[in-house]
Amino acid sequence: MGLIKKLPYYSEKIPGGAIVLTSLEATLQFAQAKSLWYLLFGTACCAIELMCTGASRYDFDRLGMIFRASPRQSDLILAAGTITKKMAPRLRRLYDQMAEPRYVIAMGGCTVKGGPFYYDSYAVEKGIDHIVPVDIYIPGCPPRPESLMEGCLHLSEKIRRQKLSDWQEK
Amino acid sequence: MTRDQLKDYIGSKYASLMTPLDTGRFDPMFEVKADRLFEVSRALRDDENLKLDFLCNMHATDTRENFEIVYSIASITTKLRLDFKIVMPYQNAEIDSVQEVWPAANWYEREMWELFGINVKNHGNLKRFLLPDDWNQGHPMRKDWDAPDFVRMPEIQ
Repeated sequence: MGLIKKLPYYSEKIPGGAIVLTSLEATLQFAQAKSLWYLLFGTACCAIELMCTGASRYDFDRLGMIFRASPRQSDLILAAGTITKKMAPRLRRLYDQMAEPRYVIAMGGCTVKGGPFYYDSYAVEKGIDHIVPVDIYIPGCPPRPESLMEGCLHLSEKIRRQKLSDWQEK
Repeated sequence: MTRDQLKDYIGSKYASLMTPLDTGRFDPMFEVKADRLFEVSRALRDDENLKLDFLCNMHATDTRENFEIVYSIASITTKLRLDFKIVMPYQNAEIDSVQEVWPAANWYEREMWELFGINVKNHGNLKRFLLPDDWNQGHPMRKDWDAPDFVRMPEIQ
């Protein structure tokens, strides 16, 4: 009953067990927020920090974050690194291949606003929000693993607050 | 052959084709006329004393008045290195391909053609290389290049 206690529920004992009533919305949100599998999309140095976060010292897995190599198994695309104009259509394509509900985290200055390549660059996309809708922005060059994990926790919070109707319309 | 001997050797044998420049760089630098490029390249590679058979690097610079194209070449057997450059006017810039001499020039020339708009004669494979496939905004490495979303670095006082 540990899990059930975190949800709004009604339970009634019956001979041989109990009946539990809860809302589908709360159950789905709980499941989604606690197991965000992310698509590996490391295109530059932020990916090194992402690897560090995934390794034993920071242990990303304990947040339910497990990396996937296929967009079809992912809930979240973690864009870690510079997105060039040539890469942008590939990012969009991978995003389109993900099943809904899907989320995007922009990790690092490059994905937020072009970062160090904002000036004098013909090749770098100035912010991935031109390509895909972004849920969480994590600034930094690159962000520390703590920042990345905080960003992911914020995303969990966001999912917990979301209504079912929100992502049906999205 | 040492560096100074190399300079003297070039000075005595290729004086009409290559003009030595004093650039302060480690490798000796020469200037070559654009229309003699292919001739010079082949002579340097086939010279028995030089055997400059390896194109290390090739780069173009936009000086706002000219394009300067620098070829850095070396030899695997004699361990010699030298650079030579060609200077050409900004308008209708065109060079000969040196692929027949050094096949490595293929990609450098394609890159130069794409990013600077320097036409390469006898290349045979001048097509889109590094830029996105649907690129239609010209040659971004030129100093006067501009685009709607291109932000120039502000002057720092």
